[in-house]
Amino acid sequence: MAPNPMPSALTFELIAKCSVTKARASLLTLPHGPVQLPVFMPVGTQATLKGVTPEQLEGTGCRLCLNNTYHLGLKPGQAVLDAVGGAHKFQSWPHNILTDSGGFQMVSLLELAKVTEEGVRFLSPHDGSPMLLTPEHSISLQNSIGSDIMMQLDDVIATTSPDLARMEEAMHRSVRWLDRCIAAHKYPERQSLFCIIQGGLNLELRRECCREMVARDTPGIAIGGLSGGEEKDSYCRVVDTCTGLLPEMKPRYVMGVGYPEDLVVSVALGADMFDCVWPTRTARWGNAATSSGTLNLKHGNYANDFSPIEEGCTCISCRPKSAGGLGISRAYIYHLAGKETAGAHLLSIHNVHYLLALMRSAREAIIADRYPQFVKGFFGKLYPDRTMTPSWAVTALRRVGVDLLAD
Amino acid sequence: MAELTPEQLETLPDEMRIFTIQKAIESSGPRLGRLSLAGRKVLETPNYLGNASRGVIPHLSPDNFRRHTNVSGVYLSLEDFIEKIPRDVPPIYNQDAAPNESALKRFICLPEDNIAVLGARRYTPVVGSAHNTDTSISICASVGFRSLPVQDYITATLKLCPDIAICLADVVYDHNPSRRRMEKVSDRTFSWVTKMIEQLNRPEVQESRPTLFAPIPPVPIGRQWAYIDKLSEELKDEISGLAIYDAEAIGNLPEPLTLLPRLSMSPLTSPNQLLQQIASGYDVFIVPFINLASDAGIALTFQFPPPATTSVDTRSSPVELGLNLWDKVYEADVSAVMEGCSCHCCTSHHRAFLQHLLNAREMLAWVLLQMHNHHVMDNFFARVRKSIADGTFEEDRLAFERYYVPDLPEQTGLGPRIRGYQFKSGEGDPKANPAPFTMLDAQREGLAESATPGDVPDSELIEHGFAEKTDKAS
Ligand SMILES: [Zn+2]
Ligand SMILES: [Zn+2]
Repeated sequence: MAPNPMPSALTFELIAKCSVTKARASLLTLPHGPVQLPVFMPVGTQATLKGVTPEQLEGTGCRLCLNNTYHLGLKPGQAVLDAVGGAHKFQSWPHNILTDSGGFQMVSLLELAKVTEEGVRFLSPHDGSPMLLTPEHSISLQNSIGSDIMMQLDDVIATTSPDLARMEEAMHRSVRWLDRCIAAHKYPERQSLFCIIQGGLNLELRRECCREMVARDTPGIAIGGLSGGEEKDSYCRVVDTCTGLLPEMKPRYVMGVGYPEDLVVSVALGADMFDCVWPTRTARWGNAATSSGTLNLKHGNYANDFSPIEEGCTCISCRPKSAGGLGISRAYIYHLAGKETAGAHLLSIHNVHYLLALMRSAREAIIADRYPQFVKGFFGKLYPDRTMTPSWAVTALRRVGVDLLAD
Repeated sequence: MAELTPEQLETLPDEMRIFTIQKAIESSGPRLGRLSLAGRKVLETPNYLGNASRGVIPHLSPDNFRRHTNVSGVYLSLEDFIEKIPRDVPPIYNQDAAPNESALKRFICLPEDNIAVLGARRYTPVVGSAHNTDTSISICASVGFRSLPVQDYITATLKLCPDIAICLADVVYDHNPSRRRMEKVSDRTFSWVTKMIEQLNRPEVQESRPTLFAPIPPVPIGRQWAYIDKLSEELKDEISGLAIYDAEAIGNLPEPLTLLPRLSMSPLTSPNQLLQQIASGYDVFIVPFINLASDAGIALTFQFPPPATTSVDTRSSPVELGLNLWDKVYEADVSAVMEGCSCHCCTSHHRAFLQHLLNAREMLAWVLLQMHNHHVMDNFFARVRKSIADGTFEEDRLAFERYYVPDLPEQTGLGPRIRGYQFKSGEGDPKANPAPFTMLDAQREGLAESATPGDVPDSELIEHGFAEKTDKAS
């Protein structure tokens, strides 16, 4: 147990709470400026967002983006990050950065990674010799990156794992590793370390983990180990359970989520922060996120569709020329998709803008205390035939007082 | 050296005069001019056009193009917009446009005041085995080789309404044509140019017709005299410029054609070649090595005239034309790509980031390099014009040749993925440059995003402090 509260590099101000659901609107102030919550954080894996310049990213309204510690640790590497003075200077991003611990990527990407009490052991992809990533390594690297929010190294296993004993071990180990991370963290006054609640889909383990980690009093709290292919029902129960146990005055980040529906439901369940590679990854395949669903603009249907990617969208790609935008048509995206990188850039900008704008309007709705109406409006557009609404969303929202199927 | 008299500069009929020559020394030397079309940016010449691919300057989304380049005109090829003809009408033909608006510009979001120059083929084109016929040329669309009827090209230019359209030429790309074939080149080109002029002169299209440039195909002028002669006599008032495919042709053009702006369509691989063509009197260029350098990870760094050489270093070896940012020496170098450059890349980012982006095969590298390299060419041409105005061009050109290595630095890393319409691969060749990302299985593709750990030698893992090597068995 940490005897003293950690010094904090953030302030968290609760602005409004929904009177029906658990949704909250808040203001998170980080070393590189304020961030309005709830928020979607785009992922710049290798210190860049798929061809989008930092200036263009700023133009979407993004003030907090992700970098992946695992990737930055390899390229450009810690020595370069130290020499340059951290990731902000490295990529010329004047706003906030959040980094993960690198452990999740290691376990997910490397076939033979094994977790021991010391850290994540893996065989070198080069010559098969044994290597080790410890909580101390991860924190040291994130200190070099200088991210505004950093993540503890946690013991992640698939939520779908049937091995309860292993799940319990992972939860307890994540708590012990949190203590090592706190001890190794050199700059708590300028970088905020978030703990990561583990425990798989077992709600009892999740509760215990919440109690243990909340006691460590980190400036923010993440709910981890999700988005790994579990049932959406189970996902919602875990988020709902955890947010019920977390202190009100701390930001809550659900890692690796997600799709627009996931965001809207998770906000209703009391979560504040989300990240996902989906908008940029899917842009590369010609997919556009819109309020009526995802459109694949590589499809021949759009070859002669001269309407904007989404009518009424205020991103630079969609906004008409008369309003200072580019007025890009679906037909032109079709023409470029998969052939010129600029097509993916235009779509990435739209997709990232779409998710940021979705969270901005969710926030406005919470402040106006009409989040339930917002949620219904959102699902109504996505599923004009109400009976097609996914049952997990209906169930989860019912638990917080919103019935998507009622009038 | 007698400068052209004002009277000689005034011989074109007014409505056709989009081009004025401000300074020229003899009919074949370097010259200063202004290409001005109503409502469009004035192109001070010598100058260059952006070399578009499928309607974009590669890697530059239209917002970046507007905000971070000064490119005033672009070269576009019709073949980039043709997919499945004759089965389907190319979508761009269905783009509607306001009266006096170019459907082409609207489709690709090119600013109204930017000069759109349309030709049939990409610069530089992918050459297929099919031949041109009396009524069509062979092209390479994104779906493969096709033939483009001459009439279709004319109809397309009327529909799309670029500012300048280059008439079709019967160009033989892959071999030196025989004497008989050369005659055919002359006959066909004449017939195609005549046909296009005739259709563009119809009263119903007068409102919004493109300005015409006539091609000079790459055969000796003497072998196409039948065409050249008619061009300079009967047709000279119908055309506003020349697109010349053979750099040498310029010296042999008849007098009446010398006052037209000259667009160079011959291969151009180095700044020295470019300067030689400027010296021989070309006005407008499409500079393919800008895109090539960016794709290769090379930031152009040359300037014109070259920096003054002091007596101390006169004997030093020639200087490179660019910086190969793949070079690991820039790994932690936080200086601007080019000291003193005012482009977005140099004012916002540093060499270390560019090195990383290339090394990580991230698309942003090419975006930023395109901004910088176009900026370098803007300055280059501005200084070339000043040098011509000052009368020091030839001297400066020779100094440039002495000062710089003749060729661009060699590419040492992989560029972007190259598509079929950009490059012709032989049978069974592997894909030119694999995709910069490798997918693992479907569950993991989100994580894999851009890097595959399998590529990483463990020495890198340790050197970079990511993890430590351990003796213990796992
Ligand atoms: Zn949009
Ligand atoms: Zn520059």
